Amino acid sequence: MSTMTAGPAESTLAAADFDTLAGGLTEPEAIAVARAAAWERFTALPWPTKKSEEWRYTDLTKVGFEALTPVVPATATAEALSADVREVLGRSGERAGVVVLREGRVAHLELEPEVARSGVVLCSIRDAADRHPEVLRRALFEVQPGPAEEKLWALHLALLGGGYFLHVPRGVEMPAPIHAFHIVERAGTLSSAHSFVYGESGARASVIDEFLSDDLDAETVSLHGATITGEGGAGIEYVALQRFGRGVKRFSTQHVAAGRDSRIVTFNVTLGGDLARTDVTSRLDGPGSDSEMLALWFGDSDQHFDHHTLQHHAAPHAHSDLLFKGALTDSGSSVFRGLIRVDKGAQLTDAYQTNRNLLLSEGSHASALPNLEIEADDVRCSHGATIGQVEDGQLFYLMSRGLTRRQAERLLVFGFFDEVLGRLPMEGVRARVREAIEEKIGL
Amino acid sequence: MPQNETITGLGLDEYKYGFVTEDQPVFKAVPGLSGDIVRQISHHKEEPEWMLDFRLKALDVYYSKPMPKWGGDLSKLEDTLDEIYFYLKPQDQMERSWDDVPQEIKDTFEKLGIPEAERKALAGVGAQYESEMVYHSLKEQWEEQGVIFESIEDGLAKHPELFRQYFSTVVPTHDNKFAALNSAVWSGGSFVYIPKGVKVEIPLQAYFRVNAERMGQFERTLIICEEGAEAHYIEGCTAPVYSTDSFHSGVIEIVVKKGARFRYTTIQNWSNNMYNLVTQRALVHEDAKMEWLDGNLGSKLTMKYPSCFLVGERAHGEILSIAYAGDGQHQDTGGKVIHAAPHTTSQITSKSISKGLGRSSYRGLCKVYDGAEGAKSNVECDALLLDEQSRTDTYPYIEIDENTASIGHEATVSKVGDEQLFYLMSRGLDEAEAMAMIVRGFIEPVARELPLEYAIELNRLIELEMEGSVG
Repeated sequence: MSTMTAGPAESTLAAADFDTLAGGLTEPEAIAVARAAAWERFTALPWPTKKSEEWRYTDLTKVGFEALTPVVPATATAEALSADVREVLGRSGERAGVVVLREGRVAHLELEPEVARSGVVLCSIRDAADRHPEVLRRALFEVQPGPAEEKLWALHLALLGGGYFLHVPRGVEMPAPIHAFHIVERAGTLSSAHSFVYGESGARASVIDEFLSDDLDAETVSLHGATITGEGGAGIEYVALQRFGRGVKRFSTQHVAAGRDSRIVTFNVTLGGDLARTDVTSRLDGPGSDSEMLALWFGDSDQHFDHHTLQHHAAPHAHSDLLFKGALTDSGSSVFRGLIRVDKGAQLTDAYQTNRNLLLSEGSHASALPNLEIEADDVRCSHGATIGQVEDGQLFYLMSRGLTRRQAERLLVFGFFDEVLGRLPMEGVRARVREAIEEKIGL
Repeated sequence: MPQNETITGLGLDEYKYGFVTEDQPVFKAVPGLSGDIVRQISHHKEEPEWMLDFRLKALDVYYSKPMPKWGGDLSKLEDTLDEIYFYLKPQDQMERSWDDVPQEIKDTFEKLGIPEAERKALAGVGAQYESEMVYHSLKEQWEEQGVIFESIEDGLAKHPELFRQYFSTVVPTHDNKFAALNSAVWSGGSFVYIPKGVKVEIPLQAYFRVNAERMGQFERTLIICEEGAEAHYIEGCTAPVYSTDSFHSGVIEIVVKKGARFRYTTIQNWSNNMYNLVTQRALVHEDAKMEWLDGNLGSKLTMKYPSCFLVGERAHGEILSIAYAGDGQHQDTGGKVIHAAPHTTSQITSKSISKGLGRSSYRGLCKVYDGAEGAKSNVECDALLLDEQSRTDTYPYIEIDENTASIGHEATVSKVGDEQLFYLMSRGLDEAEAMAMIVRGFIEPVARELPLEYAIELNRLIELEMEGSVG
């Protein structure tokens, strides 16, 4: 195994062609061809503008993609854990494995021997491409994003090389979560990583992706994709905790496919970066499947967080429940645009969608677009959205007990978030998320 | 389960006004649209020069704007527009009394079921038959109070200053493609002026029909409700069934001044081949209250979002909307509220029913600008699906730039519950009756707001559609 730390020759995205991006990499034919096709699609498609509904509130044309240096990670290396990672791990309770990624490149990967013996596979995407090219190709390259998301998704696939692959075999229940750290260190780069989580029938898995960087002095873009698939009766919990520093713009596209009687929980926590766009699609493919989609965000300064969700009921008797809550202060802004789509024939669908927003300052603003498209009649669907502020009475009470206005306000925000935090099944994961939020809102 | 039979039994989708009255228009323009047509319209109406300029400029705006890609399917509309008559004038002059109204038109009203006695009670009836007011009466005491209720043409001719002061100020020409089209070829509609402090207790009614095949109807209504005044305006439409697509694109502008209250009621029951694309907007000033009561039962495609621009402190806007989408119909309706002043409040209540291949969509906007302190808005949308093929969508936009605002939106989608049906049937109702009762109960919060005493025919429309032959 080589120990290259950087990939092929570097240039800006504007000057890059696919050969320079892929130069020096060996990969299976199926993946190489699919990546080349993705690159072609990326170069052919125009950037979506604010005229498209999907980008109505986030101006992608203001992101300087062309000047960024794309990084395609080469082979994995085996570094020791850095101090900051060790520190977080020390406070995060039990775990079944750890992955550390730098600009997408797997720098460290470990899996508890006992878990490995039960048949669980944890490796880099690049190793998975060598070992299971077809599985990967089908799971990633056959995803059909909407027209307005296609350009970014094509770029993500063309740069693919970073990320990890977790496969939990039939009936195996992992005792503790996998904790992955996505670290961005180099300012001015464009990097991409993918989290691939697959649970066979009856498998149980829990994953926490933590995204972090220092404050960077040049515009930096981190692309992220996740495919989370549960076969019949599988139970998967997926958490993305984003606490990048300033300077980073982050785009994450997550695809969930829930098989018969499976239960999949996704939880996105957005705290960092200048701009964060998160797209979560849950496809309820199997009867009796259950998808819980949760999110929290706290935006300050001039942070802008944009969330798009789709609860796609393709099978009958499925249940989905979405709860997204955000709080904003300073000039922070956020968008929630969610859609429940119920296909013809997806009878007895039970689907909910709730978005609640707190505006703490005069300069903050929020938009909510909770949409429904229902083509089956025997369904229960509802959605609700609210935008408001913390209650004066509560604020007054806390301040009368000696807290400053800011303290009282932050405490109330924490209480507002607690309903969502309480829904996370794994205690260790819950504690880690709570800690990160406390740190951000400065309790 | 013979659910389809039951629904047919309700007569929900039976179009009861599909009769055609022979008529002889006095002037009929050639089909299609051009600068010449616009000049002809303006010439026939003997309009001042500024209005012709306004129309021609609007035509350019119309040409420059692309066909909307959102909402309903407008892909076939462009062909339709080439075949539409943009102007018809059925009679040369305004009728003064009921006796002067031609028999033909009286027959039409007869079929709509407006009893003679009711007409007497109706305060002012502006009946728009095809493109122009043909019948217009106003009680004497209102004239003494200074209330103006004229055809829009007479409004321009008799009150040019007042007209020009407000015309196109609420819905500017460039607002959207169809507002531009209406601005170019508008014809018919009402001009209403309620002076300061005047309370008009009996609703003002304009009843109009579209009657000639392939004829576009571009009614334009301008209403000014002065400080402290109160009034209620009712507009109801039915149209005969024709085989080719027809088109209706109205613009309604309302100014509600300080402390005034105004309610605008529309019951739209166009035939099922009609495109109905309407811009309705009210400018609501300090302490004023505006209510839109909007019922959409007919048409092939309706895109209509009554709006309240709350520009004065404590202004209140309310939108009650009911939509029924039968087989092949798409009701893309909803409401918009714009909060641009402190302590403004609004409420949108939407009820929709979809049946067969019908599709009902709620589309709404709630916007709160920075500085609209303490603004409050609440939106509730309920959709009822009557069978497996029907579809419902909800597309609300909520954009909030003010942190002291309090905004809520809720929507539910459900079907008529088997338990509900079973319960009612166990109490001795047959299935059709039970279904009708559930549907009635569903729309009741909106239906009860209809002015039963003065607008029996409007209620008859909604009740016939919803309840059918079940008594």
